[in-house]
Amino acid sequence: MKTKLLGAAAALAMLSAAADGTAAEYPARDLQGIIMWGAGGATDTVARAVTPLAESALGKQVVLVNKPGGTGAISTAFVAARPSDGYTLLYGAENPQLHKVLELSQIDYADFYPVNILAHGVAVIVANNDMPWKSVKDLVADAQKRPGEIKMGSTGPGGLPHVVGALMKTVIEFPVTPVPFDGEGPGITALLGGHVDFMPAGLSAAAEHIKAGRVKVLAVVNNEEISALPGVPPITADFADFGKYLPWGPFYGVFVKRDVPDAAKDKLVTAFKAAATDPKFVDLMVGRGNIMMNIAGAEADEFLKKWQSTTAWVLHEAKATKASPEQFGIPKP
Amino acid sequence: MDGSALSYFLMAWFDPWLLGLTALGTFAGVYIGAIPGLSVTMAVSILISFTFSWDVNEALALMAGVFCGGVYGGSRTAILLNIPGAPSAIATALDGFPLAQRGEAGRAIGVSTVVSVIGGMLGVLALAIAAPAISDFALMFAPRDYLLLAIIGILLVGSLSGESLAKGVFAGALGVLIGMVGLDPLTAEQRFTFGQISLLGGIPYVAAMIGFFGVAEALVQLHHLKATPIRQQVDRILPSWNVVKRYIPLSIRSSIIGVVIGALPGTGGDIASLMAYDHAKRSVKKPSRPFGQGAYEGLVAPESANNAAIGGAYIPMLTLGLPGDAVTAVIIGALFIHGLRPGPMMMIETPHLFWFTVGNLTLANLFTLVFGLTGIRIFAKMVECPRTVLVPLIVVLSVVGTYAIQNSVVDIYWMLAFGVLGYFMKMYGYQVGPVILGVILGPLMDVSYRRAMLSVRDEPSAFALELVSHPLTLVLTLSVVLLLARQTPAWTTMQARIGRWRNDGRTGGA
Repeated sequence: MKTKLLGAAAALAMLSAAADGTAAEYPARDLQGIIMWGAGGATDTVARAVTPLAESALGKQVVLVNKPGGTGAISTAFVAARPSDGYTLLYGAENPQLHKVLELSQIDYADFYPVNILAHGVAVIVANNDMPWKSVKDLVADAQKRPGEIKMGSTGPGGLPHVVGALMKTVIEFPVTPVPFDGEGPGITALLGGHVDFMPAGLSAAAEHIKAGRVKVLAVVNNEEISALPGVPPITADFADFGKYLPWGPFYGVFVKRDVPDAAKDKLVTAFKAAATDPKFVDLMVGRGNIMMNIAGAEADEFLKKWQSTTAWVLHEAKATKASPEQFGIPKP
Repeated sequence: MDGSALSYFLMAWFDPWLLGLTALGTFAGVYIGAIPGLSVTMAVSILISFTFSWDVNEALALMAGVFCGGVYGGSRTAILLNIPGAPSAIATALDGFPLAQRGEAGRAIGVSTVVSVIGGMLGVLALAIAAPAISDFALMFAPRDYLLLAIIGILLVGSLSGESLAKGVFAGALGVLIGMVGLDPLTAEQRFTFGQISLLGGIPYVAAMIGFFGVAEALVQLHHLKATPIRQQVDRILPSWNVVKRYIPLSIRSSIIGVVIGALPGTGGDIASLMAYDHAKRSVKKPSRPFGQGAYEGLVAPESANNAAIGGAYIPMLTLGLPGDAVTAVIIGALFIHGLRPGPMMMIETPHLFWFTVGNLTLANLFTLVFGLTGIRIFAKMVECPRTVLVPLIVVLSVVGTYAIQNSVVDIYWMLAFGVLGYFMKMYGYQVGPVILGVILGPLMDVSYRRAMLSVRDEPSAFALELVSHPLTLVLTLSVVLLLARQTPAWTTMQARIGRWRNDGRTGGA
C-alpha cells in the first residue's frame, strides 16, 4: 500500500514537472541567481539592486545566492554545470575573462550568453594626501628616481590596480612595489592610513574619499574628463599613448548558459533591459561612478571579446599571465 | 549631543513601526544566530533585497536588530550543545558547554545575556562618544601590526591545548593548513587544491567549526548513550546583582578589546572574543572554577567582547564608509542601494544617520536583554533530552547549517570528515579549539606577514626596524615579547627572587 501510494505521488510529480517543461511558459517557477562575489562587494550590490526590478518584469522571484571563491571560478563552474533551462542566472564581474590566461578555470564568458552588461566602472589613480605629487607625471618621475620604493595598493593578479599598473608599464617605465589587499575597500583603508602611497582604484570605491578630501586624485583612467570628477585630468593628458587601451574598466553583467532556449533568453533580456533603465537603478549606478551600458546579445559579446583581448594581452606582455592568450585563440588587439 | 542629535537618537524609540522592526530583527537574530551556519552576514544580505523598496531607516532598524540579536544568539548553541552558532561564539563554548554539563546551563545563559548586553552597550557608548578618534586609531594599524595581533592571538594555543602543549601545537598547525587551502590571497596561486575547482574557494571555516565542535561532540556522546541526562537547575536564571558586579571589571576590559578589534577593518567578533578569552585567562587569578571546566569568567570575557565588537564595527562604517567586519560590509552595500553614499561625507550629508543608528543599537541591546532572558528554561530543558534524541538532532542541525553557508554539498562532506577527525582527536587527547584558532588566525598571519615584507621590499633588517620604530608597533612587539618571556624559566626564577626580596625587605624592616 505504502509503495503504491509513493509510486502514485511520484508519477504525479513527474507529470506536473513534464507539464511545466512543455506547456507552461518560461518562467514557470522561481529562478536562482548566483553572485560570484561575496556579500557587500560591488558585484553583490549591483545584483541585489537590479534583481527586484527585473523580478517584476519576469513575474517570478530570483533567489540570490553568493558563491564567492577563486575570483569567480567557483560560480562559473557551478552555473555551467546546471541544466540549460534558463533557471540559473550568473551575476558576474569582469574576472572570468582572465581565468584562462591565469589558469584558474577553462570557463569564461564565451560559455555564457550575456543577458545584460549593465554598466562599467571607471578607474582613478588616488594617492595619500601626504605624498608630494600633483599629477601622474610627478608620480612616474618620482618612481623612476627611487625605483621600487613607492608602494602601490593592489588587489592581486587580474584585479583593477594590477591591470592599470600593467597598462602603465607598457606605456612608460614605472617601477613601483605592489602590495596586494583583499579588495578595493581594504586597499583604500591602507591608503588612508599611509601604509601604501597610491592606488589605482575603481571610482565607485574611491569617490566618497576623494570628495571628503581624505585622498587626492591624480588622474582618471579615461580619454576625457568625466562629469563625476570635474577638473580631474584624464590620464591621456600626461600619457597620450595610454589612449589605445581606453575605455577600460571593470564591468557588471547578468549571464545564462549559451545553449539556453531562445525564448527564455528573450524573456530575460527584455526583463533586465527594463530593469536597467529604471531611474532608481540608473541613479544608483551613476552615483557610484559607473557608466551605464545596458547592452545584450551580440553587442555585449563584442564588448566582452574586446575587453578580453586588450586585458589578456597587456597582462601577457607584462609577464603577469601563466598561459599565452594565443593558446586560447584570444586575438591580439 | 545637541537637540537634533537627541531627536535622531530617539527616532526609533517613539515610532511604533521602527520600534517593532528593531524588536522583530532582534528576536529573529537570536534564533538565526543560534543555528550554526545561518550567519548574521547571510541574514543581513538577504534583507537587502527584501527591504529594497522600504525606507532606509526601516531597513537599518531591522538590520541593527538582526546584528545584535545574532551575535548574542551564537552563544545559545555554544553553551547547550558545544556547537558555536557563529564564529564569534567559539570561545563561549570553551567554558559554556562544561557549565551545561554541570547542570548550570540556565545560569550560564543568564550570565551570558547580561554581559552580552553590558558589552553591547559599551560598544554603542564607544561609538557615540569616540567614533572619529577610534576610526583614526584603527587606520594606524599597518600590515605588520595585524601580524603582531595575530601572533598574540595564536599564543592562545597555549591556553587551549589542555594537557599537552605539543598536541595543542599540532592541532593549531592542522588548522593553519586547513586555512591555507584555496587561492593564495596575494598571488591567486592555487594552494593544496590538487586541481579541483571545488577547492579553489578554500574550505569554509564555518564548516570546519561545525565539524570539529558539533559532529565530533555528537560522536563522543555516543559513548554515553545510556547515561542519564544531566538535570538542569532552572530555578535561578537571572544572575543576582552581586554576581554581575563581580564580573563587571572583566566585562569592561573585554569590551575594550572588543571595540578595538571590531573597529579594525581586518578583524571582527571572532578574533575579539578569542583574544578576550585569552585576556581573561591571563588576568583572572582566581576564577570561579579552572578555565575550561566551567569558569564563568571564560563566558563573561568572550560574550562581552563579541557584542562590544558590534559597536566597534559600526565605527569605521559610519565615519569613513569602511566596513569594520563582514556584516557592516553588507550594510554598506545596503546603504548604497538606498541611495546613500557611505563614506567620510555621510555624517555631513545625512547627519541623522549616525545618531539614528546609535539609538537603534541601544534599543536592539535592550531587546536582546528581554528576548535573551525569556525562554531560557525551555532551551535549558533541551539538554535534558535523552541522548538518543539529542545526538541525531545535533547531526541534522550540523548538516543543514553547513549546507546553508554557501549551498554547497562538498562543504557537508568536509564538515563530516572534520567531525570524524575531531572525534579521534578528542579520543587521543587533542583539543579541537586550537584547530579553529589556526583556521582563523593562520590566513591572517600569512597575508599580514607577506604584506609587511612586501612593504619593506623583502628586507628582513628593514622589517625588524619597523617593529620597533613606530609607537603602536612597538607596544604590540613588546606585548608579544612579554607574553613569551613570562613563559620562560628565567622569568619564573626572577619572579621568585623578587618575591623573596620583598619578603626579606618586610621581615627586615620589622
